[in-house]
Amino acid sequence: MLETVVQAVINGLLIGGIYALVSIGVTLIFGVVKIVNFAQGEFVMIGMYISFYLATQFGMDPIVSLVITMPVLFAAGVLIQHFLIRRVLGPNDMPQIFLTFALSLLLLNLALMLFTANYRTVHTFYSDEAFHIGELNIPVAKLIAFVVAMFLSGALWVFLHTTDLGKAMRAASQNRDVAMLMGINPNRVFCVALGIALALAGAAGSLLMPFYSAYPFVGQVFVLMAFVAVVLGTLGNVIGALVASLMMGVAESLGIQFVGADSGLIVVFAMLLLTLAFKPTGLGGGRAR
Amino acid sequence: MMFGISTRVWLLLAAGAAVLIALPLVVTSSFAIDICIRILMFSFIGVAWNLMGGYAKQLSLGHAAYFGLGAYTSTIMQINYGISPWIGMVAGGVVAMLASLPIGWLCFRLRGPYFTIATIATAQALMLIFLKFRDFAWGAEGTTIPNLGNAPLMMQFEEKAGYYYVALGLLALGLAITYQMEKSWMGYYLVAIGEDEDAAEAIGVNAPRIKRDIYLISSFLTALAGTFYTQYIYFIDPATAFSFNISIEAALVSIVGGIGTLWGPVIGTILLETTSALLQSWLGSSLGGVQLTVYSLILMAVILWRPTGLMGIMTEWYQRLFRRRSVQT
Amino acid sequence: MEDALVIQKMSKRFGGLRAVQDVSFSVKKGETVALIGPNGAGKTTSFNLITGFHRPDSGSIRALGREIVGLRPHDVCAQGLARTFQVAKPFGAMTVQANVMTGAFLRNKSVDVAREKASEVIEFVGLSAKEQTPARDLTTIDQRRLEMARALATQPQILLLDEVMAGLNPSEIDQAVALIGKLSERGLTIVIVEHVMRAIMAVARHIVVLDHGQKIAEGNPREIVENPEVVRAYLGSAHVATPGETGA
Repeated sequence: MLETVVQAVINGLLIGGIYALVSIGVTLIFGVVKIVNFAQGEFVMIGMYISFYLATQFGMDPIVSLVITMPVLFAAGVLIQHFLIRRVLGPNDMPQIFLTFALSLLLLNLALMLFTANYRTVHTFYSDEAFHIGELNIPVAKLIAFVVAMFLSGALWVFLHTTDLGKAMRAASQNRDVAMLMGINPNRVFCVALGIALALAGAAGSLLMPFYSAYPFVGQVFVLMAFVAVVLGTLGNVIGALVASLMMGVAESLGIQFVGADSGLIVVFAMLLLTLAFKPTGLGGGRAR
Repeated sequence: MMFGISTRVWLLLAAGAAVLIALPLVVTSSFAIDICIRILMFSFIGVAWNLMGGYAKQLSLGHAAYFGLGAYTSTIMQINYGISPWIGMVAGGVVAMLASLPIGWLCFRLRGPYFTIATIATAQALMLIFLKFRDFAWGAEGTTIPNLGNAPLMMQFEEKAGYYYVALGLLALGLAITYQMEKSWMGYYLVAIGEDEDAAEAIGVNAPRIKRDIYLISSFLTALAGTFYTQYIYFIDPATAFSFNISIEAALVSIVGGIGTLWGPVIGTILLETTSALLQSWLGSSLGGVQLTVYSLILMAVILWRPTGLMGIMTEWYQRLFRRRSVQT
Repeated sequence: MEDALVIQKMSKRFGGLRAVQDVSFSVKKGETVALIGPNGAGKTTSFNLITGFHRPDSGSIRALGREIVGLRPHDVCAQGLARTFQVAKPFGAMTVQANVMTGAFLRNKSVDVAREKASEVIEFVGLSAKEQTPARDLTTIDQRRLEMARALATQPQILLLDEVMAGLNPSEIDQAVALIGKLSERGLTIVIVEHVMRAIMAVARHIVVLDHGQKIAEGNPREIVENPEVVRAYLGSAHVATPGETGA
């Protein structure tokens, strides 16, 4: 019994690392640009397909393909901020919500047209390997994904706290006017924030590929997790999002273990609804009184 | 003058109504009448969404919850107890209203995008409930509605024209409610809340209550469409009744047509559904994803270039035309 | 004369910050009182506490003889207290007329009655020419006028004005001062938060000075200008030392 619980917790933490990459991206964009990116999950999906094709066409290992997915998605983030999101930043919610929502719909359905709804997998030499500690079982691919995810989160934290640009982003997320006074070009900061957030989503995609299937709707699972984690972990807060993501992973894993294989989503929704019901008003909306 | 509407507008409305009522007599192609029915139904869903999403700017992407509740309530009543869907339709509306109270209580704690996310989550959670509980409502496989032939009292018609008139009636109801609301204090309060909730509160608007009330009305109407659609396609399952696409289309037709305007959802639906029908006849078989790809491109174009939607464009053309004419005379 | 507004030991903390601490003052019926103090002194927070946008941690607020702590903003407004916001919050998509009508619906739900009431207060604040203009197209001073008209349409007995003169030029300030004078003549009780000393001297006979969330002085304009504590609080900024200058 105890072993089952520990095993479920380990599984949850390992997948929670991937959730963290997506959540940190969402929280970074919300903190700095003050919008919610509904399309964040689709960039995980794009990362997965890039890794899939690099693996099947060029034999590149999905983990190694990080060096391609991350820069490509960083560039995509900069372009999306500069050409799309910049045009809808203003007091109204409607354009912001529905622009990124439209982007999500577009990418998802383009993927459906280009790649069909089939599941794609990449089999690496470590895909089936696992470390065994007593009764416990730690899959290598998930462990690698977790370690790299933690490393990237840590690197982002260092970037935000030590570099001028990172400090500018933190300033922008705390107080827009202060950031303006510091002489920061907001669009440049926003572009970098989008770039980093999308690069993290792409990284999540590559890291998932050795043990998870790519399909057009895959991003929706991750973005829902991320939204819940971000609400749980106080918006705009990187460490909060990280901790909340790990918790979500564990909660989902325990749910699958003890309630049923298809109950993962129910656990997620239950957590979101409980969070909404019991956290004080004002969370999330950012502009609540 | 009646209800503050001028005689000219009454004549226009009467002419429009006459054309719409006569349409099924002229259009006999099953494909064409099917498109008309879809346009009427999605216009109606859009009108229901627009009351809350358009006027009060509470941007829900979870209206499928009420569509599904309406569909399931009337179907359960019909199949298990033999009750007419006409009664089931109203019962479904009431169930939807009751459901909107706790859902609204949760979701309205959030503002802006997080409100939207909460509505998505609650609708998805409802779908999961209907998927999981097999003995309660047929589980994931769903069920077919017994075909009774021509049974108007059971909302079943041999001719598609019957469904056409039901959908037309629903749309007329939705538009009449919107019109009445737009002209009353309620309309002003809704727009005020949509513009700035704090400022509205400061001048005495009980924003939580108004939002709750409009959510009740919006859910009720959306549920009616759910019953209608199930009767029309003779089939129900959670994936259809709680389809996220319903939530998306409800919002999209309003935004594309003109958010927060009386006719916006109708115009938006005409554009989107015609586009969709053209794509379908052009590409033949349904190439997965094409329809929503095109929808999302239209949505992006509207948001980036014309956030007031087609209504905004049309108003501008009308004014330009009008101004030119007045210059000439 | 009777007190319209009595505030006793009102306090509010935000996290570790004491935004307002044990502030007490009262306003007599028909009187105009100014609330002044340096930036961050707690003036706007006080307004938010009085009008129900924040709930005080402790203390009592009585308006027109009734305790109003714990009421929601719309209830406070229904009690007869209307406010304006420091940053004007017009309903941008609505016309000036529709904005003001929305306020008038508090007392009467009939559209015709509201329209009549609206045109009356719109004329009072001098916006009649722009009745059908969308609020988002108004200039700064007209947006302030609109805020006042909308608040007046709710038929308040106490009006709280939050920096209605910030960003106005001297002649516009004169117009605003005249408007407030007219309101006062109609018997309205007015509490005004303002930086523009010249205006304060012109409209207020009683001044309450806040600094770091606490009341440091209270009295008539002469007493306030000569109060050493007040001068110290403002040291470095010219507001009190040279009345007549417009503050930032």
